[in-house]
Amino acid sequence: MNLAATHGFLSPTGVEIAFLLVGLVTLGAAVVTVTTPQLVHAALWLVVALGGLAVEYLLLTAEFIAWVQVLIYVGSVVVLLLFGLMLTRAPIGRSPDADSGNRWAALAVAVAAAAALVWVVVDAFRTTWIDLAGAAAGSTEATGASLFQNWVLPFEALSVLLLAALVGAIVLSRKATTDPVPPPLNSRGVGGGSRPVPDPSNECTGPAEQDGTVPDDGSGPTREPRSDAPPGRGKGALPDDGTGSTPDLNGSVPGVRSGTAPGGGEKPARQEGGTR
Amino acid sequence: MNDALDVALRLLIVFVVFLTFPLLVGQTEHKVMAHMQGRLGPMYAGGFHGWAQLVADGVKFAQKEDIVPAGADRRVFQLAPAVALLPYLLVVLVIPVGPGEGAVGQVVDAGVFFVLAVMGVGVLGSLMAGWASANKFSLLGGLRTAAQLLAYELPMLLTAASVAMAAGTVSLPGILDAFEWWWLPWQIVGAVVFFVAGLAELQRPPFDMPVADSEIIFGAYTEYTGLRFALFLLAEYAGIVVLCGLTTVLFLGGWHGPFGADGLGWVWTLLKTAVLAFVVIWLRVTYPRLREDQLQKLSWTLLVPLSLAQIALTGIVKVVIS
Amino acid sequence: MAESHRPARSRVPGSGLAKGLAVTLRTMTRRTVTEQYPDVQPDLPPRSRGVIGLFEENCTVCMLCARECPDWCIYIDSHKETVPAAAPGGRERSRNVLDRFAIDFSLCMYCGICIEVCPFDALFWSPEFEYAETDIRELTHERDKLREWMWTVPAPPGLDPAAEEPKEIAAARKTAEKLAAAQERTGEGDA
Repeated sequence: MNLAATHGFLSPTGVEIAFLLVGLVTLGAAVVTVTTPQLVHAALWLVVALGGLAVEYLLLTAEFIAWVQVLIYVGSVVVLLLFGLMLTRAPIGRSPDADSGNRWAALAVAVAAAAALVWVVVDAFRTTWIDLAGAAAGSTEATGASLFQNWVLPFEALSVLLLAALVGAIVLSRKATTDPVPPPLNSRGVGGGSRPVPDPSNECTGPAEQDGTVPDDGSGPTREPRSDAPPGRGKGALPDDGTGSTPDLNGSVPGVRSGTAPGGGEKPARQEGGTR
Repeated sequence: MNDALDVALRLLIVFVVFLTFPLLVGQTEHKVMAHMQGRLGPMYAGGFHGWAQLVADGVKFAQKEDIVPAGADRRVFQLAPAVALLPYLLVVLVIPVGPGEGAVGQVVDAGVFFVLAVMGVGVLGSLMAGWASANKFSLLGGLRTAAQLLAYELPMLLTAASVAMAAGTVSLPGILDAFEWWWLPWQIVGAVVFFVAGLAELQRPPFDMPVADSEIIFGAYTEYTGLRFALFLLAEYAGIVVLCGLTTVLFLGGWHGPFGADGLGWVWTLLKTAVLAFVVIWLRVTYPRLREDQLQKLSWTLLVPLSLAQIALTGIVKVVIS
Repeated sequence: MAESHRPARSRVPGSGLAKGLAVTLRTMTRRTVTEQYPDVQPDLPPRSRGVIGLFEENCTVCMLCARECPDWCIYIDSHKETVPAAAPGGRERSRNVLDRFAIDFSLCMYCGICIEVCPFDALFWSPEFEYAETDIRELTHERDKLREWMWTVPAPPGLDPAAEEPKEIAAARKTAEKLAAAQERTGEGDA
């Protein structure tokens, strides 16, 4: 690291020009990320911004940081983001509700945050220059050495923080064991040999329902025939509507029973049979 | 000038390898899969045992109309195949095939991280394709791709870290320089986990739930035709080459061999890679597709603990022997 | 992943996976079963039902085949001719002459009933199967084509080793035995 005196702003090297250009691209991508009305486009522009940042790290010889940036942010965080977007809603085209109403406040906060960060960085590294020509200052070895010699405490603190987050996630995702969830009614294969659950909307459930659940004398709960019953059955099987106790000819249909309902206010199929 | 020529030559070689090796793997898959199923596979294209089948396929793909669905997001849809394919090209660049500087496209200091990071980017292509196709099957495929990537990236990283710990470096040639034969039994669990996780990340059978053709047509690639579809396929096979090469370099000792390590190192690398590619095909033919929940369970309850155990073992041995 | 369904005999975890790999590897080393059809003609089993050949010398235009055909895919036209009396003073006889015999193979379902019912052995199965056409109407084949196929009919395959002897041979043998017995008896009577 040299002093600023040996460097000037007027004769930039190729690396510096590239740094500036990539920085502009990154900034542009970041601006598009927060302004585009298309949600998934925003996520993809975020990829560009984060990738641009990785290139900046590379140009500053911090190779390790650059690849970790790509690995963590592009490879995992953005994928997680896209996953979440696709899982909830990710319409193709504009999402009108993506615009926030208080954009000016947001802009103010953003500018303030950026100003604070820039001020901190400028104040910290005011006249420090990286010698790009010499040994790489940000190589994996150098990064590792400084991380585990000078910055061990923050590193460990961070790992404890992450551990806490992990434990929290596990606690949140665990179901309460005291409240067992009853199995869903229609689930197949629950209780292998049990009878099928009688389903009132199903008119042909077979003998299992016929022999037990509906008494044959007509005093049982009256069930209406389905409106989409074939009209032919209404004509043929129910010639004597209103007499009550006559079992209809189609024995496997216990639901079609004319017990208490006169022909008047019935479904069309029944009506037809009754008026004959 | 000489430097420029050298760089150009290396790039050219890498590019040629990138274009031919996936085709070799693809053709091998055609034939091996056929014979494992009691068939012959392609027999006509090119005359001798259908060696030019994939060339013919390529010609067919090039002739097809390039269709973008009306409801699709045009830009993203068209960009996705490139995003899926290019990362693998970059990875091929850094895989060392032999000892010394001459046998690698470009030495990268943090090679392991570079490789894993760039391979993760490749999956982004599938996500883009899945979302931009405006097709529910594509979206389902994209979702499954993302879920699978999230599940399998972790064990892959952890096992790669285990090797890096053993070698004391994250540079791929550095790892190979430090390799000893007894690393093989030492890191065998890590090798298996890495390979399986890599397979899952490539969405190869039996981990091909994201493209499960019998239920979601072809996942994220459902709407693609012609050259763009061919690029996706090429990406899959390039991914196989990269994964096998990487497993060879990280766990199987790359150019190290029982003999002839000096002149014939690259032969060892290619041989090991080819054997691993055969295993990839073999697994595809043998096993049925894992269900989505089985996929997740395999990763989180088996591979992640195994890789953590491998790291612990590596650490203990490393401390003991140093 | 379903531990409860794992059969009890696989003690070593993963042995089932290894077994699967072994199966595919073994299959790879074996000969394939693929028939390379256009290059190599298939080895068809005897009595293959490829196409129906007509031996029209045997046909008497009895129309049984056309009537029994479930698809009505056999077309027969004929006329009667009178044959002059063979002996002087005899009666003139009429004879059926076949004008058209066609089978529509787009309708034929290869049931073989026509061949079964033909009382004069005029229809035969031929193993010839390469007669696809680009137009469905060209699948109606006339008598000359059916006659050509007649020459591709193979000789009937021999009997299986333990098969029952053919009925006609059995009948002939029975008659011969009876005759012999009768002769013997008459010989005894003479003596």
